[in-house]
Amino acid sequence: MLERVLNQVRDMSRRAVVSPVTFSLLFAFALAAAIVAVTGGDPLAAGGEMFTGAVTGSGLRNTLGRSVPIIGMALAVSIAFRSGIINLGGEGQMVIGGLAGTIVAIYVPGPGYVIVPLAMLAGAVVGAVWGLLPAYGQTWLRLPILITSLLLNYVARAITGYLVRFQLLDDAVTLTSTRQVPETARMPKMPIFGGVSLSLILVIVLVALLWMVYTRSVAGYESQMTGFNMRSARYGGIDVEQRTVQVMVVAGAIGGLIGTHLIIGEALRFIDGELVLAGFAWTGLLVSLLAVNRPIPIFITGMFFSALQIGGLAMQRNAGVSWRLSQVLQAVVIVAVACRLAIRRGERPSTEVSDAESAAVGEV
Amino acid sequence: MTFELELRGITKRYPGVLANDAVDLAVRPAEIHAIVGENGAGKTTLMSLLYGLFPPDEGEIFMRGERVEFSSALDAIAAGLGMVHQSFKLFPTLSVAENVVFRQEPRRRGLIDRAAGIARVSELADRYGLAVDPEAAVEDLPVGVLQRVEILKALYRDAQVLILDEPTAVLTPQERDQLFEVIRRLRDAGRTIIFITHKLGEVMAISDRVTVLRNGRAVADLVTAETDPAEITLHMTGRAVDLDRRAPEHQPGQAVLEVENLTVLGGHGRAVVKDASFQVRSGEIVGIAGVAGNGQSELIEALCGLAEAHNGAVTLSGTDITTADVAGRRAAGLAYIPEDRYGVGTTRQASVSENLLMGHHREETVQRRGWFDRGAVARLTGRLVEVFDIKAGSVSGPVSTLSGGNLQKVVVAREMEHGTPLLIAEQPTRGLDIGAIEFVHSQLIRYRDQGGAVLMVSAELSEILSLSTRILVMFEGSIVATLDPRAVDEPEIGLYMTGAHLEAAVA
Ligand SMILES: Nc1ncnc2c1ncn2[C@@H]1O[C@H](COP(=O)(O)OP(=O)(O)OP(=O)(O)O)[C@@H](O)[C@H]1O
Ligand SMILES: [Mg+2]
Repeated sequence: MLERVLNQVRDMSRRAVVSPVTFSLLFAFALAAAIVAVTGGDPLAAGGEMFTGAVTGSGLRNTLGRSVPIIGMALAVSIAFRSGIINLGGEGQMVIGGLAGTIVAIYVPGPGYVIVPLAMLAGAVVGAVWGLLPAYGQTWLRLPILITSLLLNYVARAITGYLVRFQLLDDAVTLTSTRQVPETARMPKMPIFGGVSLSLILVIVLVALLWMVYTRSVAGYESQMTGFNMRSARYGGIDVEQRTVQVMVVAGAIGGLIGTHLIIGEALRFIDGELVLAGFAWTGLLVSLLAVNRPIPIFITGMFFSALQIGGLAMQRNAGVSWRLSQVLQAVVIVAVACRLAIRRGERPSTEVSDAESAAVGEV
Repeated sequence: MTFELELRGITKRYPGVLANDAVDLAVRPAEIHAIVGENGAGKTTLMSLLYGLFPPDEGEIFMRGERVEFSSALDAIAAGLGMVHQSFKLFPTLSVAENVVFRQEPRRRGLIDRAAGIARVSELADRYGLAVDPEAAVEDLPVGVLQRVEILKALYRDAQVLILDEPTAVLTPQERDQLFEVIRRLRDAGRTIIFITHKLGEVMAISDRVTVLRNGRAVADLVTAETDPAEITLHMTGRAVDLDRRAPEHQPGQAVLEVENLTVLGGHGRAVVKDASFQVRSGEIVGIAGVAGNGQSELIEALCGLAEAHNGAVTLSGTDITTADVAGRRAAGLAYIPEDRYGVGTTRQASVSENLLMGHHREETVQRRGWFDRGAVARLTGRLVEVFDIKAGSVSGPVSTLSGGNLQKVVVAREMEHGTPLLIAEQPTRGLDIGAIEFVHSQLIRYRDQGGAVLMVSAELSEILSLSTRILVMFEGSIVATLDPRAVDEPEIGLYMTGAHLEAAVA
């Protein structure tokens, strides 16, 4: 019995050691250290600042805070990828849902426990509708989601830009922005680590829910099987079109939730163009790829990326190394993972590529 | 004497399976060496080890007396081995010639010389009688031709030893005869051929020697001329198997499937199924015979909802399903064993049990309000594995680790389990060993006897003759004959299949 457990642990750790992710992480950090050293810095000091900056004091709060949109957008894109849908419209879904949530939060009067959920709901619904458009485009008109979802990002930007500029503009400030979200309609902060948004709980619940869905529900099974092999899924009686629509609705809704959270929980004003600057949808996409679209690895990877970004800022402040280095780190991790997978693929006995790998490299 | 190729004590373990157990194999120069064995006996594994796809756990390989170690297929190719896999590995959008010369393109001034490639490929094809058009796109070609392309690929790399893994499973009798002709020519030109098959008739017809594998062990090495199918079967299974018995008679009942004037258009708007009308009644097996590519696949796809009907009507148990989608047709009472078990019938990334669950996953017995009852799922898949004797290390392991025959059993088990009024079985026994064929045949007969209607497409005329209540012959998209299996023999069906009866009628 004990021996079996030990064997399993050994097996798992062996797999973790040779896993492409571990390899890429080591590679990425080594490269980053080299860059710092070559440019005359002290890699150890920079690394130390990055680490302490990410996990101590207000850094920890910021890491947790930033993880919400990263993990959230990663979850949104992962469910699409898992069923073989290349949804690049996360950004648009987030932006337009975010504005909808903001409007509710600003203009609908009422107590916080009503308005906050209502705003989130509005964000989710509008995000879902925005996801629905490319889904119907594909199932009715055969326009590939890959393209329409991407193009709709620009439409979403334009629409929100127009609304903020001409309908919702706050004349009291010089920003192109809506009014501030009233105090009562803001996402509450939990009294931990100096105030972490309640949305973190929402994200954790989402992770758990998706894990449940994919391990034991019919919907998860059908999505996953469709993503693996659409022909076979169709042959098995799965209504692939209907599943596509459902998946895009859920992905869009999550995007809308995250967009709303970013305003009523963080920025407090919808400033035109601001929401897309941080690139959460794209970071989320990378996280999802790295975590091969699995909810729990997404949570871990998302936290890690968030810590990288927050730690990078601290490093710039305290060690004088540009925060861009953490972006370089992120990019190198991704590239290294992709390379490792490509190499391993070449070594493989047959054309058989494990699901994780094809999901990671085949879908984008 | 030195052997062309010798394997000594080859062992390969997988979790829970000993795929090869100290196997010895000796192949002489310029011989055709057959390897036979039940599904999962370890044939493909042994050949993959030989071909350098992965290393053996134990054992040694010698080529012409020299110890060799291949760390990849490229090494094996360089040493003069060539392999045609059970599932083809070609680029569908490239041409025949491009596939053949891939990675060894003839070059001129550093650039790929397409014309030279095409010329070399057609020269090779002519020399060994492999009829292919080097410029055709691979995706448009029937399987028989794809196989020739694979053989050409190996010959182009100058393979001295050619390994063919179940090459005849996907061929019509005519294509098979052509392949045999090619193989004999290759042998006469001094090349060595290793040939895996489940069909003992083929072993007798073409091989010089035969090695029998059983549960991963080489249990016999025989000279073909000195043995017979009964002895080989005994080595393979440890028992005698009778394949040639005819299905007992059974009285058909009501029509379950009615097809009227069905026309299906293929690419370029050409009719690939022309005005087909027939019925399948409960309690009967209707067999469709035809040379591959005469519209059988398209007919079946249209019946199953994977292709669109251009014209005509399809009725299943009184419901018009002409425009229904697959889910609708399945709900109306249809199950389908597809011809392509790799691309359609299974999902290679998913586990054995996920594959067995496909199509059953919405049934009340395995889920409630969208959530699986995992105990019930395990019971269902466990039962199918047991009843159909699917040899899998673990049901939660990926289905891609199954042997070809066991993968086929996954599809057959799952689809038969539906117990629908209509079962469409396309090449139901392709790749199965004789014991498994016997089992599937008895299951098809039981299905029929319990009042099921079975529509079967098979390239095996013997299978069609022994199981069918009626035989439909397709030629160029039309049903050209409805025959009584008690009144015809293989050559006569063959006449209809090749359209020769038409010429006879004109003359
Ligand atoms: N990658 C793998 N992982 C685990 N088990 C495997 C793997 N590949 C093969 N096996 C197992 O090894 C055994 C031998 O498989 P193999 O494919 O060699 O059989 P085969 O003789 O070619 O059978 P068939 O006639 O059905 O093609 C089977 O039980 C199979 O499940
Ligand atoms: Mg095999």
